[in-house]
Amino acid sequence: MSRPARFLAKATWRRISQALFLVLFLFLFIKTDYSGIDELTWAVNLFFRIDPLLAAAAMLAAKTVVMLMLPALLILLLTLIFGRFFCGWVCPLGTLIDAVRPLFGPTGGHPQPGWRHGKYYLLFFILAAAFFGLPLAGYLDPFSLLVRGLTFAVHPAMDHAAITLFTWTYQSAPGWVNVVTEPFYSLLRQHILPFTVKVYTLSVFSLLLLLAVLGLSSLHSRYFCRKLCPLGALLALNARFAPVHLVSGSRDCGTCGHCHAICRMGAIDQERSISKAECILCLDCLSHCPNARIQYSWVGPGAGSGTMDLSRRAVLASLASGALAPLVLPTRPLARQPDPLLIRPPGALAETAFLGLCVRCGECMKVCIGNVLHAAWLEAGLEGLFTPKCLNRIGYCEYNCTLCGQVCPTGAIRRLTMEEKHTTVIGRAYFDRNRCLPYAAGIPCIVCEEHCPTPDKAIKFREAEVINSSGEMVNLLQPYVVEELCIGCGICENRCPISGTAAVLVTAEGESRHADEFGTMGGGY
Amino acid sequence: MDRRQFIRDIVLWSAGIALVTPRFAIRPEALAAEQASPLLSVAKGEDYPALVTRVLEPLGGMAHFVQPGDKVVVKPNIAWDRSPEQAANTHPLVVQALVVLALEAGAQRVLVFDRTCNEPRRCYANSGIEQAVRAIGDRRAVIEHVDQRKFIPVDITRGQSLTRWELYRDALECDCYINVPVAKHHGLSRLTLGLKNTMGVIGGNRGRLHFDLAQKLADLATVIQPKLTVIDATRILLRNGPQGGNLNDVRRMDTLIASADPVAADAYATTLFDLRPDAVKSTVVAHAMGLGEMDLGRIRVLEV
Repeated sequence: MSRPARFLAKATWRRISQALFLVLFLFLFIKTDYSGIDELTWAVNLFFRIDPLLAAAAMLAAKTVVMLMLPALLILLLTLIFGRFFCGWVCPLGTLIDAVRPLFGPTGGHPQPGWRHGKYYLLFFILAAAFFGLPLAGYLDPFSLLVRGLTFAVHPAMDHAAITLFTWTYQSAPGWVNVVTEPFYSLLRQHILPFTVKVYTLSVFSLLLLLAVLGLSSLHSRYFCRKLCPLGALLALNARFAPVHLVSGSRDCGTCGHCHAICRMGAIDQERSISKAECILCLDCLSHCPNARIQYSWVGPGAGSGTMDLSRRAVLASLASGALAPLVLPTRPLARQPDPLLIRPPGALAETAFLGLCVRCGECMKVCIGNVLHAAWLEAGLEGLFTPKCLNRIGYCEYNCTLCGQVCPTGAIRRLTMEEKHTTVIGRAYFDRNRCLPYAAGIPCIVCEEHCPTPDKAIKFREAEVINSSGEMVNLLQPYVVEELCIGCGICENRCPISGTAAVLVTAEGESRHADEFGTMGGGY
Repeated sequence: MDRRQFIRDIVLWSAGIALVTPRFAIRPEALAAEQASPLLSVAKGEDYPALVTRVLEPLGGMAHFVQPGDKVVVKPNIAWDRSPEQAANTHPLVVQALVVLALEAGAQRVLVFDRTCNEPRRCYANSGIEQAVRAIGDRRAVIEHVDQRKFIPVDITRGQSLTRWELYRDALECDCYINVPVAKHHGLSRLTLGLKNTMGVIGGNRGRLHFDLAQKLADLATVIQPKLTVIDATRILLRNGPQGGNLNDVRRMDTLIASADPVAADAYATTLFDLRPDAVKSTVVAHAMGLGEMDLGRIRVLEV
């Protein structure tokens, strides 16, 4: 094969592709936000919708075809033809893993294949568990890991850093400095930073997970991709059949073995045979082979090294444990008494269906303009980790906003029309009269009533004559909730001016998504 | 004398019910304020931009308030994620017309902002105000979101209930502050008018101010002193305020009220709701503090 003379090395094309997809990914990440209308103008959840792992897990859990996730088929088809190009050329987490690799000393591969089968067994376990009712795919999905880390920790931290710096320049630096810094800051604010300061639960944890995935590269390059990534495993299973692939060197090569030494995936063995399943087409070997013996060409569907050496016993064991693990879930008290503070976003499906479809991508929490959506810890069980829940003391659900349902890649949160949104009950408020100022201290307040967004206010007030804490008789207004009008948006709890726990609180009571369950959710007799 | 007694006295006194000598000393500025007879202009009409020009005419036009080179703040109510017809925010055409007039009067820069209650971008967009200011197409007309760095702690030396709070720098430092509230119902303060609109230039936990709100609003009025108050009553929200949301709660009035006296403007606007000026406590308290006139008999109302 004649090389295009002095043209870019093939691996450079791969690097350009990686960079472009990373930029696209980050661009869509930034655009996962309100943009002046209640419509997302970009396909911000694109990466999730082409993710075959999440598509498979969601469809197995829902036992139906999730139309939103059909674009993932495209990636599967392309992988069937071209191999695991996705991991090497597209995946933004893979790109970051490649990018940090130089931090851990000399680059290059690691000859030992290691326990690379782990990812397959993990995949089988995850898919079987998803089908039988324990959805876990989102925990290790590369995009989910990445978006969570970015949304919960990296982006807010960048914001904090910028605010700290530019508050200092604004308040302390001379005018001529501000002539430069202020326009720069407003550019950052407009195009990069979040619109307002946001906080998130599990931010440090999510960051540590992401850092751990990157840091595993210190053991050997692409550790996560080689051994853990269930998406990589799913693609690898398809890549085995790829008819076009790298044709490896032959026995004539002699004792060089350079390709074997540099392969970042450990996909080339001592005999210079390239594993179709493990190769991510980074094309390093192509560029580095001293004799230019490695080529990318037609090898035929069956040909090449396609075997995976999976142990049948281990495959069956992972499938069986995936099928059996969900059996233990109904043994927990959660089955009878869900956490009353587990308030799901408006449009969320009934809990079981919701958990099955939710891929923990964090997109709803990224887009939430009220900063009310936060990652759950164990409130919804082990399988509910990273699923969205409302924390009303931190934010509230904006009455006219439907963005979370628009951004959800699987429909775990339904897309609501504005009318539906206005009538979707996610919880209901109640007053703690021991803390509420007009009741407890005889002090006028009703900030909650002021903010209550339903046109016929769900929080109303009565005039009352009470004795205040100084013993004086005062006339004031005491708020109360009209249950049928309350949709649980939580702005009352959010704006309640007393410090600490609010005096008006929202629980998941009365939520629309469980309206058909005859009151069986939440215990009772 | 405690505050409650004080307020009660004032209410009774100004309502003319109690004829006994009030038991407090009248501040000198209160006396001074009583002597002047503030001008207040009221205009009715359906062409809102023209209405703005018309309502300012008896007061000497915008040129009376804005000098060439002035930094001007036009402070509408953009608190809620509501559309113009829902009457929760100031009408965008009224804001736009005021900004245009200020520019024509030679303002160096006209800044429009509000610290909103709902998500700021939604409020700016759906109130129509952002679009209206941008549509002027003049670089001197600026609408921007509140920048947290600009809240600075201020001692409110004349404050009785509120003595120190964070206020927005632009509101304090501008040459001409124009207050453009929308007149509407409010659960706690009965109505929200000009004085209540000042809540949009303060930082901190605003919910905390709802205790003794009337006094605190009057205290704020001692430091945030608009040169001009234009009350938007083109349509008013009669119930379920301050947010509304139901068009049945809205009454079209096609009215604007303008005055250099913030208390007089509030006092007069109260009558649009078939209430007496003393129905709004902040008006009563501010009047007692000498911040303006609330006695309709003493206000020179010019209907145009």
